[in-house]
Amino acid sequence: MSAAEFTLFLEAAVRLGIPLALAALGETISERSGVINIGLEGSIIAGALGGALGALAFQSAGMGVMTGAMAGCAVALVFAAFVIGLGADQIITGTAVTLGGLGMTGAIYQARFGATGTELSLPTLQALPIPVLDRIPLVGSALFAQAPTAYLAYALAPALWYFLFRTPWGLELRAVGEAPDAAKAAGVKVRWIRFFATLTGGILAGVAGAHLTLAHAGTFAEGMSAGKGFIAIAVVVLGRWNPILVLFAALFFGAASALQFFLQALGLDLPYQLFLALPYVLTLAALSGWVGRARAPAALALPWESE
Amino acid sequence: MKPVLARLQGIERRFGSVVALDGADLEIFEGEVHGVLGANGAGKSTLLAVLGGMLAPDAGTMQVGGESVALRSPREAWAHGVALVHQHFTLVPRLSALENLALGRGRCTGLRGEAERLMERTRLRVPLDARIEELGVGDRQRIEILKALLRDPRVLVLDEPTAVLTPEETEGLFQLLREVAADGRGVVLVAHKLDEVLRVADRVTVLRGGQTVLTGTAGAHDIDELVRAMVGSDVADAMALGLPDVTTAASVPGATVSDQEATEPIVRLVGVGVKDGSVDRLSGVDLAVRRGEIVGIAGVEGNGQRELALVLSGRQKPSEGVADLPGGIGFIPQDRSIEGLVADFDLTENVALALHRDARFSRGPWLRWDALGEAAGEIRSRFDVAAPSVSTRVQALSGGNQQRVIVGREIGMASDFLVAENPTRGLDVAAAAFVHQELARLVAEGVGIALVSTDLDEILGLSDRVCVLAGGQLVSVPEGERTRVRIGALMLGGSGA
Amino acid sequence: MVQVRDGPRVRARESILIAIGAVVVTALAGAALLLAGGYDPLAAAGAMLRGAFGSWGAFTSITLVRSVPLILAGLAVALAFQAGVWNIGAEGQLYAGAIAAVWVGLVGGALPGVVLVPLVLLAALGAGCLWAVVPTVMRVRLGVGEVITTILMNFVGIYLAAYMVHGPLQEARGVFPQTDAIAEAARLPKLLPGSRLHLGFAIAVVLAVTLAMVLSRSRVGFQIRAVGASEAAARVSGQIDTRRVLVGTFLLSGAIAGLAGGVEVSGLTYALYENLSPGWGYTAIAVALLAGLNPLGVLVTGVLFGALQAGAGAMQRDAGIPAAWVGVVEALVILAVLGLDRVRRLRGEGA
Repeated sequence: MSAAEFTLFLEAAVRLGIPLALAALGETISERSGVINIGLEGSIIAGALGGALGALAFQSAGMGVMTGAMAGCAVALVFAAFVIGLGADQIITGTAVTLGGLGMTGAIYQARFGATGTELSLPTLQALPIPVLDRIPLVGSALFAQAPTAYLAYALAPALWYFLFRTPWGLELRAVGEAPDAAKAAGVKVRWIRFFATLTGGILAGVAGAHLTLAHAGTFAEGMSAGKGFIAIAVVVLGRWNPILVLFAALFFGAASALQFFLQALGLDLPYQLFLALPYVLTLAALSGWVGRARAPAALALPWESE
Repeated sequence: MKPVLARLQGIERRFGSVVALDGADLEIFEGEVHGVLGANGAGKSTLLAVLGGMLAPDAGTMQVGGESVALRSPREAWAHGVALVHQHFTLVPRLSALENLALGRGRCTGLRGEAERLMERTRLRVPLDARIEELGVGDRQRIEILKALLRDPRVLVLDEPTAVLTPEETEGLFQLLREVAADGRGVVLVAHKLDEVLRVADRVTVLRGGQTVLTGTAGAHDIDELVRAMVGSDVADAMALGLPDVTTAASVPGATVSDQEATEPIVRLVGVGVKDGSVDRLSGVDLAVRRGEIVGIAGVEGNGQRELALVLSGRQKPSEGVADLPGGIGFIPQDRSIEGLVADFDLTENVALALHRDARFSRGPWLRWDALGEAAGEIRSRFDVAAPSVSTRVQALSGGNQQRVIVGREIGMASDFLVAENPTRGLDVAAAAFVHQELARLVAEGVGIALVSTDLDEILGLSDRVCVLAGGQLVSVPEGERTRVRIGALMLGGSGA
Repeated sequence: MVQVRDGPRVRARESILIAIGAVVVTALAGAALLLAGGYDPLAAAGAMLRGAFGSWGAFTSITLVRSVPLILAGLAVALAFQAGVWNIGAEGQLYAGAIAAVWVGLVGGALPGVVLVPLVLLAALGAGCLWAVVPTVMRVRLGVGEVITTILMNFVGIYLAAYMVHGPLQEARGVFPQTDAIAEAARLPKLLPGSRLHLGFAIAVVLAVTLAMVLSRSRVGFQIRAVGASEAAARVSGQIDTRRVLVGTFLLSGAIAGLAGGVEVSGLTYALYENLSPGWGYTAIAVALLAGLNPLGVLVTGVLFGALQAGAGAMQRDAGIPAAWVGVVEALVILAVLGLDRVRRLRGEGA
């Protein structure tokens, strides 16, 4: 494999890993507050369609990212209403939200563009190379000549880390996820924090979906999220709920998805479906190997009754 | 007349259909330690929660520092100078002590310095950067008190602080409370152990049935009067009230077993150890229990009681050593609503938890629900469970009645041996007395009992022999040394120091 | 104060009320959404009902037939949920069962039907069970939550089936991504001559009744319910091996979901192709929850959702509503059940 081929592989890895990173970073925040959002997949697909429709309506990819974020937020709002407002089970609610999100986006898409898939022509997010950095040999163009949403992910990881571990509000959020009763006794508003954390997750997942449509595929297709929401949840576990590690874990998964290019470049001819299944199998393997050592926020997924 | 720091009048509060407070009053003067007495369920914790801003009262007035207030959150309580130290620690285990102190205070530079100065002044030392989960019970309570004191309160309120302390630590705490009061503050102390409260309080208030029934200087009322005020009659379970003249096992009717059976142990643990990962929760435990005797196992929570109870009841195999157990074992776990019962199941199904493998109640793979229903009915009547029928979900029963179901079920299983883990925790006086009666009756029938309890009075009042569990190791207490001081010293041998 | 109104009959009535309430709420919310999208909810409902119940033929050959995989998968999910196992993997287990069934049906052509049909179904059961092994081990041995692992296995199962029909099991002609038709002897007989209703429906009914009896009256059923209601209490009772109950239930659930796939292949399609399942494994969750996890209830809700899917085609043709709409309805049902159940609990505690 030549250097150019490696760079191409790395570039694909980053491009595929960025939506995972964005969604996983958002999920890290919500899980740190004790909420596991299985409906993340719903937020992503909503963001994908929302991004496409917004970009078409405003003829601007940037606006598409905004509408995608809003769509993802709306889905998370439904989830939060049931889980935090009513205290419903997080897992079943999340499953319902994902089903609803997939169904709704499919229905809206079919209604507007017909039952067969049409190729939409969307204004896309152009790659934005960062001067100097993109000249670094081998990795430069892969890491620093990506769409702006990629840079958002790079910036968010350390920012969220700082927020969680060095600010009082991050401390409150972590306390809510570990011991909500103790947090409440210390005067922390548990439900509000969980609410905002969940919405944050939804917004970032929406941006991830918009990235899928506007920077990656250039069009929308039903079910194009293909389980990325679930993989993102696994990425959070692998990254031990630490935003910086989560970013790396997501890029690692992007690499796994990009593996097909790598292997094809090596001249191997394996069944197409094997490559499609690879990220999921790898996720299972990674979860088996790593989980024993990582510890989730103690109150994760447990319902919390306030007085 | 000293200035009044806080005054609550006519406080009422209900939870659903349960009336917790029905017109309770409390007045705290400057410079005093004020004890709030009452049996379990009298409303003490609820009153404190109202004072601390955790709960809003349904009716009644509150004044703090002379002005009328309606506290809607702990934050408002702090703003008015009231700080509450909770009964069940409200610390986040995975955060450090300093982080716990900082929680909820917003941006606070210089907290570390402030905390260190406070630790100097009060002689309450804790390692600020250690995670709570690494610290013992004594340290955790110190951090809770520091958390409250850091808010510079005018009124410091403590809810059952001595439940987890050894006698020596209790004395240290009382000394501190006297100093805090002398500093011009008010200290409110809730407990249900009379003798402890009387040692430290200047004035007392007695709650019964959610109402204030007595208030005055501690010395002006004798013990009998206070007991009557707490319980409403002279007859009371002395152990539940922590009265000073607690008798030894001589008060328990003698076991009617033959000499042969009396010497042959039905339970024998030799060199038993339990590991949790790399930590030794129990090590080198030797214990024998004979028919018709109650062995009391005292100790501060967190020293291996859970593991010992699980091994003794056959629910867990030891990592090392031998546990020789008989066939018919009953187990009363300490967490009745989570481990003792399935909340969503009714009485019959909960009784079935113990009986469903018994051949008398099944026909092949099928259960005989009619027979199980009868068994549940017998338990309901014999143990006086206040439930309309055996099809009532146990969730709807009070704590005392839930415990009756568990006790009834497990005594039925305990043809040879019963393990009781903190069986009267959180029960009112009548329910606690009932449990003690049943234990005494059981042992008189020749069953052996292991009583694992953090309540020293319960242990001293019921046991034939006493052991102390400290740091995972079991130490026998010789007959002549069964005093609170001696046992307290042995308890200190483990963590919690 | 102790609730006087309690007991198993009251609880059963409450569950039915919640189910009916959920259907009503879903209908209202669905109508609102349709109106917002510019569709006519009454026309939609009419089209759906006609498509599902319009004629005896429609009822037996479309609605009931469509309900078979939903009932079976719904039973699998209900059983797992009763034990506290969140098996979201019925979809993948179903595909695994379908693959195994098709394979046996293709290679076993020489055997007589009375032998081959049970073999086909057994293969489906075994494959579904196998598909649940990885998530089971990961939960019981490694403490990894089964929600994510079963979902991941769904994707692997779907891609495995796709691989099979593009590759090793592809039809002899090699034109379409589908298998050849399975042998005559491997096919399930019809229940009603002239209709598409096959033995699978009878199997589903029998299985539902059996599971209902086992759960409510047998020792094992009691243990399953106890572990699901409170794993801690079940463990501390000393009478229940919670690990064995969890593993057994998880694997049995996978097997039943596999059976759903096998029955579909040997009763209706007689071959395997991509997208055999329009998401039955996920719909099964709504089916199970609406039935209050009761196997007999699953018979009813399975037919209900079968009707919904049968009517979806008519809805698209006559009222122009996209087929994906069905997913929204399923989500609404789940949320409605959850919401009403929470309301019931909150009211119960405050009473």
